[in-house]
Parts: sequence; C-alpha cells; structure tokens
Amino acid sequence: MKHRLSKPLRWVIFGVAFLMCLIFSNTAQAKTYQIGTDVTYPPFEFANKHNQYVGIDIDIMNAIAKEEGFKVHIKPVGFNAAVQAVQSGQEDGVIAGMTITPDRQAKFDFGTPYYKTGVVMAVAKNSRISSFKQLKGKRVALKTGTAAADYANSIKKKYSFKTVTFDDSDNMYQDVTTGNSVACFEDQPVMQYGIKQGLKLKIVSKPANTGWYGFAVKKGTNRALISKFNAGLKKIKANGTYDRIVGKYLGSKTNQAVKGKTFTIGTDVTFPPFEFANKHNKYVGIDMDLIRSIANEQGFKVKIKPLGFNAAVQAVESGQIDGVIAGMSITNARKKQFDFSDPYYTSGVVMAVANNGKVKSLSQLRGKKVAVKTGTAGADYANSLKKKYGFTVTTFDDSNNMYQDVVTGNSAACFEDQPVMQYAIKQGTKLKIATKPAESAPYGFAVKRGQNQALLSAFNNGLKDLKASGTYDDIKAKYLGTGGSQASVKSTGSSTEDRSFIGLIKQNKGALLSGLQETMWLTVVSIFFATIFGVIVGLLGVVPGKAFNWLSSILIYIFRGMPLLVLALFIYTGIPSLTGEKIPAFVAGVITLTFNEGAYIAAFVKGGIEAVDPGQMEAARSLGLPFGKSMRKVILPQGIRIMIPSFINQFIITLKDTSILSIIGLLELTQTGKIIIARNLEGFKVWTIVALMYLIIITLLTWLSNWVQRRTNV
Amino acid sequence: MSEKVKVTNLVKTFGTNEVLKGINLTVQDNEVVVIIGPSGSGKSTLLRTLNKLEEPTSGSIVIDNTDIANKNVNMNTIRENIGMVFQHFNLFNNLTVGENIMLAPVELKKETKAEASKQAKQLLDTVGLKEKFSARVQSLSGGQQQRVAIARALAMNPDIMLFDEPTSALDPEMVGDVLEVMKDLAKKGMTMIVVTHEMGFAKEVADRVVFVDDGQILEQGTPDQIFGHPKNERLRDFLNKILNV
Ligand SMILES: Nc1ncnc2c1ncn2[C@@H]1O[C@H](COP(=O)(O)OP(=O)(O)O)[C@@H](O)[C@H]1O
Ligand SMILES: [Mg+2]
Repeated sequence: MKHRLSKPLRWVIFGVAFLMCLIFSNTAQAKTYQIGTDVTYPPFEFANKHNQYVGIDIDIMNAIAKEEGFKVHIKPVGFNAAVQAVQSGQEDGVIAGMTITPDRQAKFDFGTPYYKTGVVMAVAKNSRISSFKQLKGKRVALKTGTAAADYANSIKKKYSFKTVTFDDSDNMYQDVTTGNSVACFEDQPVMQYGIKQGLKLKIVSKPANTGWYGFAVKKGTNRALISKFNAGLKKIKANGTYDRIVGKYLGSKTNQAVKGKTFTIGTDVTFPPFEFANKHNKYVGIDMDLIRSIANEQGFKVKIKPLGFNAAVQAVESGQIDGVIAGMSITNARKKQFDFSDPYYTSGVVMAVANNGKVKSLSQLRGKKVAVKTGTAGADYANSLKKKYGFTVTTFDDSNNMYQDVVTGNSAACFEDQPVMQYAIKQGTKLKIATKPAESAPYGFAVKRGQNQALLSAFNNGLKDLKASGTYDDIKAKYLGTGGSQASVKSTGSSTEDRSFIGLIKQNKGALLSGLQETMWLTVVSIFFATIFGVIVGLLGVVPGKAFNWLSSILIYIFRGMPLLVLALFIYTGIPSLTGEKIPAFVAGVITLTFNEGAYIAAFVKGGIEAVDPGQMEAARSLGLPFGKSMRKVILPQGIRIMIPSFINQFIITLKDTSILSIIGLLELTQTGKIIIARNLEGFKVWTIVALMYLIIITLLTWLSNWVQRRTNV
Repeated sequence: MSEKVKVTNLVKTFGTNEVLKGINLTVQDNEVVVIIGPSGSGKSTLLRTLNKLEEPTSGSIVIDNTDIANKNVNMNTIRENIGMVFQHFNLFNNLTVGENIMLAPVELKKETKAEASKQAKQLLDTVGLKEKFSARVQSLSGGQQQRVAIARALAMNPDIMLFDEPTSALDPEMVGDVLEVMKDLAKKGMTMIVVTHEMGFAKEVADRVVFVDDGQILEQGTPDQIFGHPKNERLRDFLNKILNV
C-alpha cells in the first residue's frame, strides 16, 4: 500500500476538517477526538472524486459523533500509522476496517463490532469456476498483507492452486478479468463494492474466516469514548442511519424490513422475453431474473406465480399476492390502484425489416404491406399510422408467422414491442430493427396501493444496486443481446365496451362484414379457378394417352393428399423462398384453394365422366365426331349432371376451407373473429356470431344449389 | 362391282390374348355380308377394327382404296362414310331423338340446322318413327331406339353400314321392325356387314355368309352353301346348336 497524499488532497482534508469544526462548533464545550484511519480502503475509507474523504468508517464515525454530541477529527494517515499513533497515545482512536482479533484485543479496547466481514472468492463474470476445487493447478491473485491473502495461502495446499501477489487491488482485479489468474480473494465488502463500481467480477463463495470490524482505543484509556461510540452505534442502528450508510456503499444487502421474508409475486403466463417457461419448465425472463436478483440482493425470498397478466393484477388488488411483475406499464389509471416501483424498463414499438431490407422509415412504406400480430401494441400503432403512410396491414396470430412474412418479403416490415423484437432477433429471426422505439411506456413492479411499502422500497433499492453493479445490464443482455433498453404496452380491452351479443355485433359490424366479404371473394374466385383446374385435370384423366392419365392421377394425389394448412404455408412462405418472388396473401390463398379444391373437383370430374356409358363415346366417334366434340356434345353434358351434387358440396367446403387461410394473415371472417377476440377476449360470443354467419351463408348457398339442381334435372 | 373393303392378314391382340388371328376378307360394293360364329369368337372385334374403334395390331384394312391401318389416315372423315349400329343402340341420352340424328351433320358442318332437321324427319319416316322427332330417348322402346340408331347412322350418308347384333338386345316382337328396316336398306344397294344370329335374315338378305371361329374365318359362301352344305366340322356343330334351340 502506498500512502501518498497529493497536495490538493491535503487541502481538501483540511477543508473538510475545518468545515466539520464549524458544523460542530455549537457544541463548543465538546472534546474533539483525534481518529486515525487508512488512506484508501474502499468502501470504508477513500477519497471520492471530489477528493472528499468518505466511506463506511468515516460516515459511521461522523454519525455517531453527531448523535453523541462530540467532535472528531479523522486523519487518513494509513492503517499501520494510525494503529501505532493510537498505541503511542498521539491519537484517541482508530477506525480503519480493523478486524477484532485476540492479539489486538490484548493491546486495544474495542467498541461494539460495527461490521461483519469475511473473505470471499471472486472470478471473472463469464467464468465457470464456482468452487475451490476447480482451482486445482490454476493461478489465483492476491493482495499483499490482507486477511484474504492469509486465508488463500492457508487453503493453497489443500486445493493445490498457485498464487500471485499484487500490491494494488486494481492490479489484482485486472489479473483476473484478463484471465491470467482465474480468481482472487478479498474481504467481502471490498469485493462487493468493487463489483458495484463496475468490476467485471462475480462473487462465487460464501464468506469464510468471518470476523468483525471494531473501533479501537488504546487499552485502558478512553473508556468514555468507547461507551459514547457504543451508545451512538446503537442509536444509528435503531434509527436506520447505519443501514443507510452501509446501503449507500454496498447496496442495502441488509434490508432489515424485508430480510428473510417470503413474498408471493404474480406474473404473466407467457410474455417473452419478460416471462416464459424455458424448456425445463422453469420461469425465466427479464422480469423473473430481475425479481430473483433483487430478492437475493435484499435478502428476501420470492414465490413466483404465473397467473396470467389479468389474473395477477387482480390478485394483487385483492391482496392475495404481494406484488406483480409482468411487463406492466405504468399508467395513471393503474396508479389509482397500485404503487409502482421506479420504472425498470422502458419499452416502445419498433419497426423491423428483413436483414437485407431497404425500408428505413415509415414514409418508405407507402403502397407496401406490413405484418402485425393480433392484439399487440405494435398492431395498434401500425393501424393508427396506415392511413397516414399509405400501407396495408396483414394480421397474424403468431409472431413467427409475422416475422416469416417479412423474412420472405411478402411484407416489407413488421411492428412489435422492442424487447419482444430484440429477443426474437437474438433467437435467430433474420430481421433488423429499423426505427427508434415509439409510444414509449415504462414498466414497473407494482404492489397494492398503500400496502407492502417495504417490499416496494426493497425493490427500488435492489434495482439501483443491480444497475450499479451491472447485473441489470447482464440480465437484459442475456435476453435481448447487447444494446437493449425498452419494452411493450399490454393492450387490454377497454372496459366501457358493450359486451352483449347485440353490443358486440354493433361494435364489430364493419369488421365482420368486411371479413365476410373477403371470405366470399376468396370462395368465388377460388372456386372459379379450382373448377377450371379441376376440369382440366379431370379431363386429362380420361383422354386417350397414358401420360396424361398419369399426370392427372399424380396431381390429384398430391393436392388431395396435402393438408390445406400445409399447402397454404408452403405456397405463401415456401414459393417466395424458392423463387424470390413475393406473393400477395390473397393470391396465395386463391392458388392454395385452386389446387386443393381443384384436386377434389378433378377427382369427381374424372369419376363423373367415367360413369357415363362408354357406348356413348363409341357411338359419337363412329359418326365421325372428333374426341373433343364428342366430349363436349355428348359425354360432358351427361357427366356434369352426375357431378352437380359433388360440385355444390365442394363449393360449400371451399367456403369453409377459406377459414384455414387465416394462417397466412388473410383478413377473412375467421381471422376477423380472432382479432376481435384478441382485443375483447369474448371468445364464446364472438365465435357464436362468426359461426352463425357461416351457417347463414351456407344455408343460402344450399338453397341456391338445390334450385340449380332442380332446373338442370328437368 | 368393285372392292369396297379389303381386309388382309388382320391380327388383333388384347394384351397376350390374340383375338383375331389373321383375317382375310373382301367385301364388294353393294354386297351384304353376314358374319356368324360363336360368342367370343371375335366378330365384334372384327367389326370394330373396320372403323378403328379398335386399333388393328397388324395387317391391312383397305376401305375405298385407303389403308386405314395407316396411322396418318384421318379416321374421322373415314368414319363419316361408315355407319355403325350397336347391340345396345347407344343413343345419346342427353339429346332428343331428332337431336341424336342431327348432331353429326350439324357438328361436322355438312348441313345447316334446318337442312339437318328436314333430313332427320325424312330418315325417321323411313324407319317408321316420324312422330318421335321431339321425343326423349328414354321414352322409346328398344326396337324404336334401334331404328333411331339406324337413322342416326344413315344421317351422314355412309356407303357402308356395320351392324353388331342389332336385334340381340330386343324383345322378340321388336326384332321384325328392325330387320325390315335393314332389308329395305339392303334392297337400296347399301354395302352392309352384319353380325347377327338371325339366320332367317341371313338366308333371305345375305349375298355371302362368313363363319368366324376363334379369331379365324373357317368357311364362307352363299347362304345356300353355308346353311345347306356346311363343310367345316365346327360350322356344322354351330349350326346344329343354333337351329335346334
Ligand atoms: N377391349 C377388350 N379388351 C380385352 N379383351 C377384349 C376386348 N374386347 C374383346 N375382348 C376379347 O376378345 C374376344 C372376342 O370378343 P368379341 O369380339 O366381343 O367376340 P364376339 O363379338 O364374337 O362375341 C373375347 O375373348 C373378349 O373377351
Ligand atoms: Mg359381339
């Protein structure tokens, strides 16, 4: 340790002492005690960036002096110098992170121990080492003359590691962060403080060789000072000053208000990256890691309950659980029922484009398509802008389908909450974020208004500490990759909506009717092309020529054998990947239905033709009529009559099958229903309305078809 | 008299089944040839290869100096000259009686609708069914349907008429009317090849009777020769069976 003081520093110390003299001059009668301390032993004593002497020892000493009405003059003369000065009687006492040992007790009188300490092992943040055993054959960094170095040397043989010794803490830490040494040993508070200041280290062992720091005077002298110290210490512990001082330097590790208690915290079921079950079914995510780290830091326990967002919020309101952390944005409305912590995350909606996408701003979206996910803040945001920027919105149920739509180039961009987007990108989605977060919304941890204040302040303290120590950034980086800072707004339905059937129909009439219109369009256009495709393929099955018959059979086999859903996704996402050509969803939908329904049509066209007596064809050909003419004039008129019931059936099936195309974001009747439900959560009622709409249309179609059938049979 | 049809070494196989085993047959203009033979001997197949409803496997079929076994021949125009009458009539079920007869003349642009309907009515008159012009096919009896089928086959003014057991599917009381129509045709000088079991018709109308058995022509001659003095053992057996039923 170098005990060298710069000139300005001396002046500052003098200034501080002078000020303190002024402060305490009202107790003019009081004796001024001369107290020695170390030069630099953070967090107990050190010069801050304004060159003021601060630290736990200094603050405690001053607080006690103030409490007991005496004056102190604290002199940073260095540990050894201070100890010797006390022994020689030049100074009244020493407070310098001095461990109470039997040896020292023989020479000094100690006050009540004021800080418990112990030696801990720290390793680099990304290190896998977590026990002494893993040190075997490795190098460990130590600092000369410290209790930690003694401890390390005492176990060196047992765990067979090598040591390297530094004069300076910084060099010791450096040796570990660069990887030269795998670990270092240091007093817990010192280590903890260093980490809080940004050292890229982590503590991996429990405190060993625990001991107590004490304030010391020369044995047999200054009993009065000791008793004043003890009385003052008792007072500042009782009134919270002690905790505040320690917390200021180390984070309030010892938050008495919550220490050892267990709190039940509600959260959402799935809201990655904030909360979600990982593959081991353990709840993880930013919220989860944050609350667990804070609990750890503040010394309380949490029980996580993934109740779902709404249920968790209600459970807090009703007092069934203590708090909720669920990507909950802090709103004025919610502040009426809840007390919020400091915002721990600020989210906003961002626009993402394909990795090679050229769209950089909203104004470049004109005439383009944009993908959103039902019920998200991103969807609301996109819909609010679509008029202004002239883009169209395609809605998906599933984030993945939405991302895919952008990756394949069907849509030019998608809108999503920043952390959700960032998380997806970290998970490998080939997108990039193109805009700054908009509609920013801060997230907070919430307790019931007026309740659980200790928990709330513990959360705030812990959050501060995590931010200071870098743990907060680590948690974010873990889920979002580097450079994250934001999150999303939960859209919950407005409670003023009329939720009766009539009310729901009234509110959603426009959406439902346009969904129905899309369904009808899709059906009519698809059945038109499916009929052409089906008739051609069906005829190929009956014309002379083995190759044609084979082709027909294969086409029917493929398209009838493939599930419609798979075919839709294949055409919509697969074809663009193969050809590089985008397909509008409607066109992809029509193609899908044309192939699928067309295959069924082909099968019954073929069957219908084959059901016509072959003698009819022979008779026609024997008259000299060519094959085509014979088909058209004799065979098809008879075959079609056989096919009509199947055809009507197919029309109805096609109408119903359009609902499957909601998967590629077509805003037809089923998708419209899904979107309405995502907003108002009235699943049963909305599906009833949608089902009735399908039934009405199908009934009308059946009547129409019966009428057609009767006419053709005459 | 000139050769209207000349079949040489005609072979027809279905898969491995050789149905016609080298047929040689010549039919003169205006000649009426009746083909007889047991069931499954290849009579229908022979008839159907003559207008290529069946593709011949080998050999040649020369009709009016055109070898129709040649792939480049346009069969549609050849068929216009060869009328065919089927055992089961094969009238077009989606059309009326008149439409059945008019279809080919109109579709093949030989005639206008008016001409075709006038001709159809004349043809119906000759087969004794003038009043059935607008009737639906399904409303006709078998005998009536077969007469309409003959009228339909005649509508394209063919030179040759093929009949494949035209009365086999008919109730006995209907057979006479159909045979009458055929006899009239023969009298008018139509070249006819008729597969039938009606021996009376053969004796009365045929210029020549051909006995086919197992895909081969075993004997042919005038009705008198075939029925009066059959030489071939199998022919004799066949006649015995037929006449003694
Ligand atoms: N399209 C066909 N495919 C396979 N075999 C056939 C076909 N048409 C006829 N045959 C066979 O050819 C043989 C002769 O049949 P066919 O000419 O109808 O005899 P016939 O008219 O003398 O009773 C029979 O064995 C029959 O099974
Ligand atoms: Mg036959």
